[in-house]
Amino acid sequence: MENPPTAIAQLNDISADGFEHVIRIRQLINRFGSQTVHENLNLNVRRDETLGVVGGSGTGKSVLLRSILGLHDFDEGSIDVLGEAIRYQRPGPCKQWGVLFQGGALISGLTVQENVELPIALHSDIPLDMRREIACLKIFMVGLTLQAASKYPNELSGGMRKRASLARALALDPKILFLDEPTAGLDPIAATEFDKLISYLQHNLDLTVVMVTHDVDSLFSICDRIAVLIDKGIVVDTPERLVEHPHAWIQSYFGDPRAVRARQAGSRHVQR
Amino acid sequence: MTQFLTAERSGNLLSISLKNDWLFANLSQLQNELNSLPIADIEQVAFRCGGLKAFDLAGAWALYDKSLDLEEDGLKAEFIDFKAGHLKFLQHIIDVAAVNEYDPDFFKPVPRQLIKHQLEKIGSATLRGFEHFGDIAKAILNGVRKPSMLMVGETLRQVNETGAKAIPIVMVVSFLMGVVLAYQSAGQLQKFGVTIFVVDLVASSVLREIGVLLAAIMVSGRSGSAFAASIGTMKLNEEIDALQVMGLNPNQVLVAPRVLGLVIAMPFLTLFADVAGLAGGAFICVMVLDINLVQFYERVASSVVMMDLWVGLIKAPFFALLISATGTLRGMQVKGSAEELGRLTTTAVVQSIFLVIIADAFFTILFSRLGI
Repeated sequence: MENPPTAIAQLNDISADGFEHVIRIRQLINRFGSQTVHENLNLNVRRDETLGVVGGSGTGKSVLLRSILGLHDFDEGSIDVLGEAIRYQRPGPCKQWGVLFQGGALISGLTVQENVELPIALHSDIPLDMRREIACLKIFMVGLTLQAASKYPNELSGGMRKRASLARALALDPKILFLDEPTAGLDPIAATEFDKLISYLQHNLDLTVVMVTHDVDSLFSICDRIAVLIDKGIVVDTPERLVEHPHAWIQSYFGDPRAVRARQAGSRHVQR
Repeated sequence: MTQFLTAERSGNLLSISLKNDWLFANLSQLQNELNSLPIADIEQVAFRCGGLKAFDLAGAWALYDKSLDLEEDGLKAEFIDFKAGHLKFLQHIIDVAAVNEYDPDFFKPVPRQLIKHQLEKIGSATLRGFEHFGDIAKAILNGVRKPSMLMVGETLRQVNETGAKAIPIVMVVSFLMGVVLAYQSAGQLQKFGVTIFVVDLVASSVLREIGVLLAAIMVSGRSGSAFAASIGTMKLNEEIDALQVMGLNPNQVLVAPRVLGLVIAMPFLTLFADVAGLAGGAFICVMVLDINLVQFYERVASSVVMMDLWVGLIKAPFFALLISATGTLRGMQVKGSAEELGRLTTTAVVQSIFLVIIADAFFTILFSRLGI
């Protein structure tokens, strides 16, 4: 076959490790003044995996996430998501991704159900009653009731707000779900519930999940691979293998008693 | 146009083969095609799902919804040939639907008893307004009894913020208003050959009405909105709650200094507005009407009595009280959302201007009855 461009494209899509990559980051550089946060960072996110992103404060977890979403003007390098190149403040494949922001970021003047309807109304010509039904389906999916759907964000508890925001992120049946600290601010029971919900949805809806988190329980219970931001770059591996990694920060992170307990518990409630 | 299904009829069985991409992007069309299925005289419907290329939750939902409709009409619906990867979407919806009941009537707005509701709202708003005046009075009295509770520094800061910084804009507007008044009245008065009365008209209307009214309106826009927005933001940030748990009364710390500051600043602002308004009148007299400055001064001195100035000035603190009370009250009423903050800030400005004009009308009638 004499068709080099396609051949290269295919080579990129299904790369050497035999996985299809939905997000590809190449040689990403992010600087703030004289301080370099990311230096030639490369990352592939595989289709249908759950990738946890961890790192100490100031290592650029949020900057990385915001770069991928086109919310941060990265200095150099390229990011593409589902084959689309990401540019600062240009609409990326926004029908294909859903984002759960840390505080929920629900529009405060709209009810939960209107919040979930919003992306559907913006991106399709679906009539109102059907839109409403789809929105409610998403709201039910995340474990909320009709009563909660008619409430305003400030009338909800933190955990319910997270769920409502997740319903909005899922409104357009996205392929990729980005989660920023999904369990931050939740009590351990609610956090475990939320982890289970994400894992269940990921499995049932064929989602690729990218999750920035500090919660070691989430890392070990639902993540297939973990990306650790260190030394301006990134180390990606499965949780089991990362534990063996010689780098000092990774050792101290996973050697922490909380992480050890989470690791022991984690293998128990993984349902795969 | 892509077709998403083909229907084939054999006896009373309708077998439907699904094909292509049953995805969110195609939902409207999927719905159309499903709705136009020929189901007359059919007893059983079989959806053959083997030919589906791509499937997602929206596609599954369309299919599920249709099957419910069919069952409601007394038909039997079944799904066959599903690929495992596709079936799980449908299963997911069935699982979710099993524990939740969707009710389309739930979101229909409940009709309200309009008149009763509005009257109730007006009543409770009025009550709340009086309550707020009470709170302010209490806070200030507390300050008088215990001077340490009077936030002198904060009050002075507010005098600077709402008074001193407003001087330029108030003077400019008032000057221009003086110009307009003189110019407009000159046109009429010249017909009668009494151009000199322009001075009387400008002087008495600026001193009695225009100066204080303009100052009040400018301050409503500048400071009334600022009060509502700043206190409202503090409310949203839980700063008010923080003050409360530290044992500080927000009325004492936030409201009283703003009210006092504006009440102090407003008469001075009015004086500046009066001066600028007269200057505007004088400007037109000198430039257009051949009345020189000495004539202007003498005419003002003879036509205006000190009482005219006082009539304007006495209104200033009352207007200040109305503006600051409205602004702070609206700020305190913010709860929950950013939208609310915007709405209440607008309300604060509109209501304070409205109240100022009502009060002005009241004063005018009062003074004319008193013969001042």
